Amino acid sequence: MSAYKVKVDKDLEDLIPTFMSNRRKELDALRVALAAADFEQLRQLGHRMRGVGNSYGFDDITDIGKLIEEGARSGDKAALEKHIAQYGDYLSRVEIAYE
Amino acid sequence: MSAVTDLAATGQYAPARAGFRVLVVDDDPDMAGYLALLLASEDMAVDCVPDGKSAAGAILKSAPDLVLLDVLLPDTSGFEVCRRLKRDPATALIPVVLVTALEDHESRVNGIQAGADDFLSKPVRREELIARVQTLRRLHETRRELEARRLAAEVQRKEAIRKAFSRYVSPRLAERIVGELGSEQAAFGDAHRLHVVALFADLRGFTRLTESVEVGEVVGMLNEYFSVITEAAYRNEGTIFSMAGDSLLVGFNVPFPQPDAPVRAWRTAQDMIGSFAPVLARWTQRGGMPTGIGLGIASGEAIVGNIGSPHYMNYTVIGDAINTAARLTQMANAGEVLVSGAVHEAIRGVLPAGRVEARGDVALRGKSEPVAVYAVRP
Repeated sequence: MSAYKVKVDKDLEDLIPTFMSNRRKELDALRVALAAADFEQLRQLGHRMRGVGNSYGFDDITDIGKLIEEGARSGDKAALEKHIAQYGDYLSRVEIAYE
Repeated sequence: MSAVTDLAATGQYAPARAGFRVLVVDDDPDMAGYLALLLASEDMAVDCVPDGKSAAGAILKSAPDLVLLDVLLPDTSGFEVCRRLKRDPATALIPVVLVTALEDHESRVNGIQAGADDFLSKPVRREELIARVQTLRRLHETRRELEARRLAAEVQRKEAIRKAFSRYVSPRLAERIVGELGSEQAAFGDAHRLHVVALFADLRGFTRLTESVEVGEVVGMLNEYFSVITEAAYRNEGTIFSMAGDSLLVGFNVPFPQPDAPVRAWRTAQDMIGSFAPVLARWTQRGGMPTGIGLGIASGEAIVGNIGSPHYMNYTVIGDAINTAARLTQMANAGEVLVSGAVHEAIRGVLPAGRVEARGDVALRGKSEPVAVYAVRP
């Protein structure tokens, strides 16, 4: 399977290890919230992903965050499951290049 | 240490030459770190806090030059934080940029109503952030420069006022006038009516003396005389209205109220006679003609204000009390203080026993009614 390739500005390089670590914690939190059907928590997490992803150059995180936020608003558990799985897949295969 | 390590360790980054401080309020450490890094790359000092309460504390401790404020905070909304900042006169001028992923029209309206100066949409684009912050920085610097100029002009204006009024009042009173510019405008602005205690001082026999000594010596003697009695007036916080020939007019209860004005006038008279005594002794020793200060004190309503033409204006006092004090002075012998009945009534408790002589009701030139006169020798 091919990797998700992301280009990140060189001057953000020092921030990326913490950023990625927080994303993995975020994925865990999404899974816990989904299991508990905590849609408000899911909405907030999705909202945060939407704001922060693209700022660092991770457009997919913003896109997935938007879908999670919408899914949480409509209470669509099946869609949320799908998007969270997609997020997990993305985080496991993302490759970062600094330039 | 790099900006990133500084921020990670302390939530602060302060480059040495940063003259512009930004407070980033965002509960998402990644977003806060991202914003801080971009701002630090523009040589700005950055503090990061995660909620509204910490923001209020940080601003109270040291007001930033700009606040980047997330709308969704854990303890309160960014709108509310913004509203509080704009409501407080101490922080109202700090520019606030709301940073939000909320795209709806209502959120923008809420932000505008809360007083936000600008908006940034999440995801935040580097170029947009820098452009907006730099614009607000330029505005801030322009405002600061204007404020510095305004303050400099204010200092200049106060200094000019202080110099102008130091002609009339003691340096201490001039400082008070400058310190209370609102009162100064009321006190020294339009002419107004006041109850005034007027003291006139005059050098007895000096006109004759001037005929027998050299001009240069006369000037030196007058300077010495006026120095001594002016200082006495200042010590008792009197306002000097005029100096002509060898006479001096001092007012009390003007421009600021002095509930003890009659006593101050009496103390000034005592002070003048006492301080002048050594000078008088020197003059007498040099073979000068016998002389001394005669004083008159009266009180009553007077009109006070800046009177004159646009080219020449004087802080002036006009009224019956001034005329009465002048007439009393003309009648006073050297070393004697003549006071009107009203003034005597007000100061009788502080007058030296056995040194007061009632002169009865005296008809003064220019006055229809006789005036009760008391002579006091300090």
